[in-house]
Amino acid sequence: MPAIAIFLHGFGIKYDLPIALWLYLYAAGGVVAISFLLVVVFAGDKVGAKAVEYPRRAVPWLVGIARSPWPRFIGGLVGVLALVAVVVTGLFGVQKDPTLNPAEYITWIYFWAATVILSGLVGNLWYLLNPWAAIYDALTRFVRLGPVLKLPDVGIWPAAFFYLAFACLELTSGMSNRPWIVAVAAMAYTCITLAGMIVFGRDEWLEHGEGFTVLFGIIGRFAPVEAERDVSGRISMVYLRPWGVGLLQPAVAGWDRVVFVILMLSTLAFDGILSTPAWQDFNVALEPLWLPMGPYGFFFVRTLGLLLLTITFLLVFVGFMQLVIFFGSRKVDLKATVSAFALTLVPIALVYNAAHNYSYVLVQSQGIIPLLNDPLGKGWHLFPAVVGYQASFALAQAATVWYAQVVLIVLGHVIAVYLSHLRAGERFRSSRRALLSQYPMLILMIAYTMVSLSILAAPITRGS
Amino acid sequence: MSRARIAIVAAVIVAFTVVGGILINANRSHGGANRTIDVTVTGASSMTPSNLTANQNDTVTINVTSDTTGEVHLHGYDIHFNCTAGQVTSHTFKAVNTGHFDIEWESTSAPLGTLVVT
Repeated sequence: MPAIAIFLHGFGIKYDLPIALWLYLYAAGGVVAISFLLVVVFAGDKVGAKAVEYPRRAVPWLVGIARSPWPRFIGGLVGVLALVAVVVTGLFGVQKDPTLNPAEYITWIYFWAATVILSGLVGNLWYLLNPWAAIYDALTRFVRLGPVLKLPDVGIWPAAFFYLAFACLELTSGMSNRPWIVAVAAMAYTCITLAGMIVFGRDEWLEHGEGFTVLFGIIGRFAPVEAERDVSGRISMVYLRPWGVGLLQPAVAGWDRVVFVILMLSTLAFDGILSTPAWQDFNVALEPLWLPMGPYGFFFVRTLGLLLLTITFLLVFVGFMQLVIFFGSRKVDLKATVSAFALTLVPIALVYNAAHNYSYVLVQSQGIIPLLNDPLGKGWHLFPAVVGYQASFALAQAATVWYAQVVLIVLGHVIAVYLSHLRAGERFRSSRRALLSQYPMLILMIAYTMVSLSILAAPITRGS
Repeated sequence: MSRARIAIVAAVIVAFTVVGGILINANRSHGGANRTIDVTVTGASSMTPSNLTANQNDTVTINVTSDTTGEVHLHGYDIHFNCTAGQVTSHTFKAVNTGHFDIEWESTSAPLGTLVVT
């Protein structure tokens, strides 16, 4: 077999140790036990619209901040500067070793891993950071940019497409560790997004065509901050709510939305699966197919893997939803039900994301610090003090990482099971039916959490 | 959901996480030993043995003998062995960080092996 470098995530090396077997068994046992406890404890809970009501607390002092233009201005400035930094350092910085190029850190760690985790923890940060929205808003101060065309009724399929394209760049192209490719992709996507906003209107395009806006919109639903707007669109109150419950809010139904959520789950899982021996076996088995393709073989086999995984996830999910509807024994629309339940899987995906990227965000992220002295590798001395900086592993010792991972996975699982229970109460009007309909969903969630756990516990393979 | 139900679920989750923490702490390896590992690098492309192990806080000495002149790089700890063909190059360090650290032939990035610190 030819040497294939295994790049976990976008780039860089992961030092994590897989979770020890005994801890994996403890966590897996805990997940099953707590799941059934939840079912027993929740039996006979509320049904109907009441089921999806959740507690929230008004925070009046946040209203002033939310209404002021400053968070958007500062966020937009940070976003635009980061975009410019990715393009400049990606094009003109060190190409030979991606760990010496800031574009890689900004794109794959600070934006892709950290912003997703923080948005789930705090609130939709992309709403503030989105550089393309900021550029558009700045432009419209000087020129009038009206929508030229009406966006056809395409749902969020364009956004799903761009999200998949980004996932392919990260996971299947084998080029995410080439800074200039990252820079070119960023420039191309900037053109597409600005053109989309100018042609079809700002919010029309952001909400249907901009993959990250849609993604962070879903993640923001998990977050504890909720803004309520009055009829004119002005923020009337800001609330704090428990993590996850925002996913119960009414959402547009549609296969495009379901596929988007499934893509979130499958791309995340695929990133983990890439480093497992199972993937190596799949790779080897398909060698006769992809080796003759030369340089494209790598891209082909990975993209095929990602698409197969996505389709499998989708089919399994829809299959389980048929069971949910069967046990709920109520005439409900498959599309509406599938859309409503899909969001309840988001907590499992988010905690897996946080667990999977834990040390990446805490340790690898520090690699950018020594680069500040000479970001383009031209022999500059901007901040000589940072050159000798050595990454601190203080929060990334195996014991700490494992503990954080197991606790995160279990908490996410509990939130997901609870949400799906409430959702079932809303959809299937008798509590006995709701409870019955819960079993397939519970099995699906346990299976999904087990997949997450076993990826975290799988031995990491490198090179070949 | 009533308060009693929330309390039951919360108590079970807290118990689960506390027991998990105790188990993880009890299973930590208590290193501190001195460990010497001799490795041989052949043709700037392979190393025997290739899988090195240590416990956290061990004092590890790695003696590298290479038949090619060049640099062997231990990632994570960021230690460079500047090898001269046929001579032994040694480095001693305390394995303070756990993890799975790659060892590479620096000029070609050829993977030679790993050091696993548990």
